[in-house]
Amino acid sequence: MNNIDIEKIISRVHSLPGELVPFREMLLANVVMISEIPAPTFGEQERISFLEQRFNEYGLMNCCTDEVGNAQAILPGTDNLQAILLTAHADTPFPASENHTCTVDVEKIYCPGVADNSLGLALLATLPTILEGLGIRLQSKLLLLGTSRSLDQGNQCGIRFFLTNSRYPVKSAIVVEGIPLGRLHYRSMASFGGMISCTIDRKVNHKSAIEILNQIIYQLGRLTLPVESHTDLVLGAVSGGASYKIPARHAQLKFQLRSDDDQVVIDVTGQINSMLEEMGKEQGVSLHLEDIARTQAGGLDSSHPIVAKTRQVMTALGIQPQKSIYSPIITSYVEHEIPAIGLGLTYGNNIHYGDEYIEIDPIITGIAQLIGALMAIDGACHD
Amino acid sequence: MININEWLQSNTFHHEQFSDLPQLIKAKEKQGLKISLCIPTLNEEKTIGKEVVLFKSELQDRYPLLDEIAVIDSGSTDRTLEIAASFGADVYKSAEILPVMGFKRGKGENLWKAIYQLQGDIIVYVDADIKNIHPRFVYGIVAPLIYQSEIKYVKAFYDRPLALSQGIRPTGGGRVTEILVRPLFSLFFPELTAIIQPLSGEYAVRREVLERIPFPIGYGVETSHLIDVYYEYGLEAFAQTDLDKRVHRHQETRDLGKMSFGILRTFCKRLKDRGIVANLPELTANLRQFQALDNSYEQVIHEIYEEERPPMLKIVAYREKIGIDH
Repeated sequence: MNNIDIEKIISRVHSLPGELVPFREMLLANVVMISEIPAPTFGEQERISFLEQRFNEYGLMNCCTDEVGNAQAILPGTDNLQAILLTAHADTPFPASENHTCTVDVEKIYCPGVADNSLGLALLATLPTILEGLGIRLQSKLLLLGTSRSLDQGNQCGIRFFLTNSRYPVKSAIVVEGIPLGRLHYRSMASFGGMISCTIDRKVNHKSAIEILNQIIYQLGRLTLPVESHTDLVLGAVSGGASYKIPARHAQLKFQLRSDDDQVVIDVTGQINSMLEEMGKEQGVSLHLEDIARTQAGGLDSSHPIVAKTRQVMTALGIQPQKSIYSPIITSYVEHEIPAIGLGLTYGNNIHYGDEYIEIDPIITGIAQLIGALMAIDGACHD
Repeated sequence: MININEWLQSNTFHHEQFSDLPQLIKAKEKQGLKISLCIPTLNEEKTIGKEVVLFKSELQDRYPLLDEIAVIDSGSTDRTLEIAASFGADVYKSAEILPVMGFKRGKGENLWKAIYQLQGDIIVYVDADIKNIHPRFVYGIVAPLIYQSEIKYVKAFYDRPLALSQGIRPTGGGRVTEILVRPLFSLFFPELTAIIQPLSGEYAVRREVLERIPFPIGYGVETSHLIDVYYEYGLEAFAQTDLDKRVHRHQETRDLGKMSFGILRTFCKRLKDRGIVANLPELTANLRQFQALDNSYEQVIHEIYEEERPPMLKIVAYREKIGIDH
């Protein structure tokens, strides 16, 4: 794509926020309807059906749900020589029993999962109407994909399945997340998500599993992590026990180890395994490390045309790209060597808590950014 | 008396029967109908935004079923009006509609003034406190009026399975319906027992009917509608649509007592006016409830008046507005 093309796109991008205002309620209605359909990982079917129904209503091509539960459709381009993939994950970390009632006020929408990722999915449902209304038609065909089984133990199963089995070679991809506006992710860190389970055999040991877990956490804190490879160990969640007055028989710890070096993750995971093996020698103590998810390091350079043009689009809209360039959402694309970026649509907070919310006003800028990025990538695809 | 089972078969619908919105809109446009949505409010900031966003997007922008979406408010002190207006609803203060008639605080007042203020040949009333709002709450009750000209008044009902046994699904109304209204209907208007949820706040009605009936301004408005429309047009004029589940605020038993009292007053007035029960004494407006404080008990008296607005057709300003006094 030459400079004249990107200047044309930037010029169009400037006018997009104003042009997008008439589509605001349509997007918000989709946000509300999607948010109120519970979609725990492995239980996204109803939400996926809603998305497929929206694709059908618009008259997109090849609307279907695949065998792992991804909803997909094609918005044809003018020449269809290339395909750009636009995805958002459908699942949330909330169980179906959570109250999924949305509250809409003038500035914000509150609902469990609204930021991660009902807004992203609502964008997929609304974008064909928006593009048509704006008179924007890409050269490339646009593959729209609401993915299932992404989070936690889903381990990005939906997108991995699609990229492995898709009939359409994907030239580039954009992954849409609800928040935060300003995210521009294009690299994936190597990571290992694990769950350590501790079980005590009461017949021979009267300790609490939580006590053992505490020792494990202490030992994990003493691991030496290489600083030069930006390696981190995140202790994400603990659970265990049945009552305050009985020593816990079971306890679990979920953690993530991440680094920009694949080998470091392999080495440190090995150290954790050895540590557990040693501690598991205590009589009546059983320790088990289970894989939740793994990702591979890689991605685009900051000078890659897709990254550079997207940054130009963001700057034109007054969006300051965040410093962090890493996200696990890029992993599957790294594995398939597909250039991909991750974008956010608005600001919000309390993610993964019951009072999760998104801000309404910035959404317009977020959509303008996404459309600008799509146009830039479309141009780059045809260079 | 018509066969209630036959009526249940022919005039009871499920919202899924009407989910083909393009077809519904085609039928609406063919008849040149205008449809107005009225949401009566009083301090509903938690739910009003969602209702307006959904109805405007789905039933105006995407599928043009509604010609206007109006919020008619009894004097909210929270952000109800600001939120509704920000998402594109027409917002009215009840006190400012037909000021010559004054203002009375009550949901029925808002519903009555909607007849004057709104343009529709059909007016759809939907309560503002529904947590699981969905477009079906409107199209489900409007569709029978569009497809069947003999139907004039459509009530919503909601599936409340109380028990499941061998395919029999007892479907009931709320507590006030089952303990008060249905027993009263069984005694005096047996055909009206076929209306599964006579007190539901969601109904769609033709203007020609609304403008001819009086409106109690408080709790009795739904009950009085059913009796008055029944007297005028018979059960055949009614239909009802199953809208599945409705999630709304839970009401305390004490509040339901007030509601029941208001309904009873309205009901008794109808019995008296229509000569069904002679020599009813003058009815008090005082509801007496009791509360305990340690070992002592005290009486709490609530004054509950069920004032009524006359049929809108009797209001000069309305007759002038619709051009029948020229």
